[in-house]
Amino acid sequence: MAGIEELSPGSGPVATRPPEDEIDDDEDEDLDETLMERLWGLTEMFPDTMRTAAEASAHCSVSLVKKLYSFSRSALWVGTTSFMILVLPVVFETERLQLEQQQLQQQRQVMINGPRMYFVIFIPR
Amino acid sequence: MGSVLAAASPSPDPQSAAAGGGMAVSGLMSVPPGFTMPPVSSVPPSADAGSALPNPGTYEECHRKCKEVFPLQMEGVRLVVNKGLSNHFQVSHTVTLSTVGDSGYRFGATYVGTKQTGPAESFPVMVGDMDNTGSLNAQVIHQLSTAVRSKVAIQTQQQKFVNWQCDVEFRGQNFTSAVTFGNPDVVVGSGIVVSHYLQSITPALALGGELVYHRRPGEEGTVTSLLGRYTGENYVATLTVGGAGAHATYYHKANDQLQVGVEFEASSRMQETLTSLGYQLDVPKANLIFKGTVDSNWVVGATLEKKLPPLPLTLALGAFLNHKKNKFQCGFGVTIG
Repeated sequence: MAGIEELSPGSGPVATRPPEDEIDDDEDEDLDETLMERLWGLTEMFPDTMRTAAEASAHCSVSLVKKLYSFSRSALWVGTTSFMILVLPVVFETERLQLEQQQLQQQRQVMINGPRMYFVIFIPR
Repeated sequence: MGSVLAAASPSPDPQSAAAGGGMAVSGLMSVPPGFTMPPVSSVPPSADAGSALPNPGTYEECHRKCKEVFPLQMEGVRLVVNKGLSNHFQVSHTVTLSTVGDSGYRFGATYVGTKQTGPAESFPVMVGDMDNTGSLNAQVIHQLSTAVRSKVAIQTQQQKFVNWQCDVEFRGQNFTSAVTFGNPDVVVGSGIVVSHYLQSITPALALGGELVYHRRPGEEGTVTSLLGRYTGENYVATLTVGGAGAHATYYHKANDQLQVGVEFEASSRMQETLTSLGYQLDVPKANLIFKGTVDSNWVVGATLEKKLPPLPLTLALGAFLNHKKNKFQCGFGVTIG
């Protein structure tokens, strides 16, 4: 009951009462604030230690997620560029070599099998 | 051109750190930057089977096998034309175009003499290199007798002499000793004397030491370091410990195609350590040599060298990426001949 009395704008003398539209704004603002304050007030039902523990763990998990995100970003960049410099050229060259060797083998196969020519005799009518 | 290879120098750097400076880094005095040593056999074939210990090679070459596995950082464009004019004489032209440094032209000539000491070695060897700005690198290597080899090298920056050194190396039955005089200046009274000694203890183990004495008007000092090298069946492990820090390398030949090197370096002067892993992949069927490296400084780099068959062309591509500083450097080069 004390809370409602405090928040009512009509509680003070007439001179200090804010004008009509301001009263509505104030009420709206008060209502928003009231909502937050009410929600905050709800947390007071939990014991102190639990509140601090929850706050600390929330804080920690947020910072952990941030750190993990930035770590994974830089790890991905370092990994990709290092792989690009250290491993990629060798991979390209060995694959090219393999393809060339395959091609050579194929050519050799064709040569071994021998060209087959089929003679077609065309008799004009 | 049979015996001597005088390839273009990797990234010519006339600012040799030992010039005039108080501290000499071990191994720096032997090969002035700007040209490559002709390949001289490090371990001549051992005479007897069991009793005699083999000659351990030179002090500088102990870490070289591992170092050769690592790629060199390339920057800009480089065109090298090597031409052999005769069996004894070879000439090279190098054009370097660079974004961060100076672009220039470099002319190099190599003369190999007639005194033949081995299947791939002939003496005297004279290597000279001149820049478009007038900087000269010159080296003369001569085998004075069967066991004594000497080398004289000079390096100038335009017309000023930056490096001049003379060294004498004596190869015994199972040891090698060398003395190098770097930048001796009688007038001012300064200079650097480096002496090396390497001894074979067993056919696989070699121990040695290095003593550097440097002197400038007003100060003088010595730096000593010890070296141990163990050669296994397909690996070589070397450790150098000294006043300037520690340096350990491990070289492993996995198979015909893959060679791996691990290097650990700790410097007491700069108070930092560096660990790097390098590998070299040879695919002769694809005419490919690929070298890659990963570093503890978050540096990743690779070099690819490919021969392009019908013509005597070699294409080299290199890329280095520093993740920590987010800096990237790439370069390519073409070698003709």
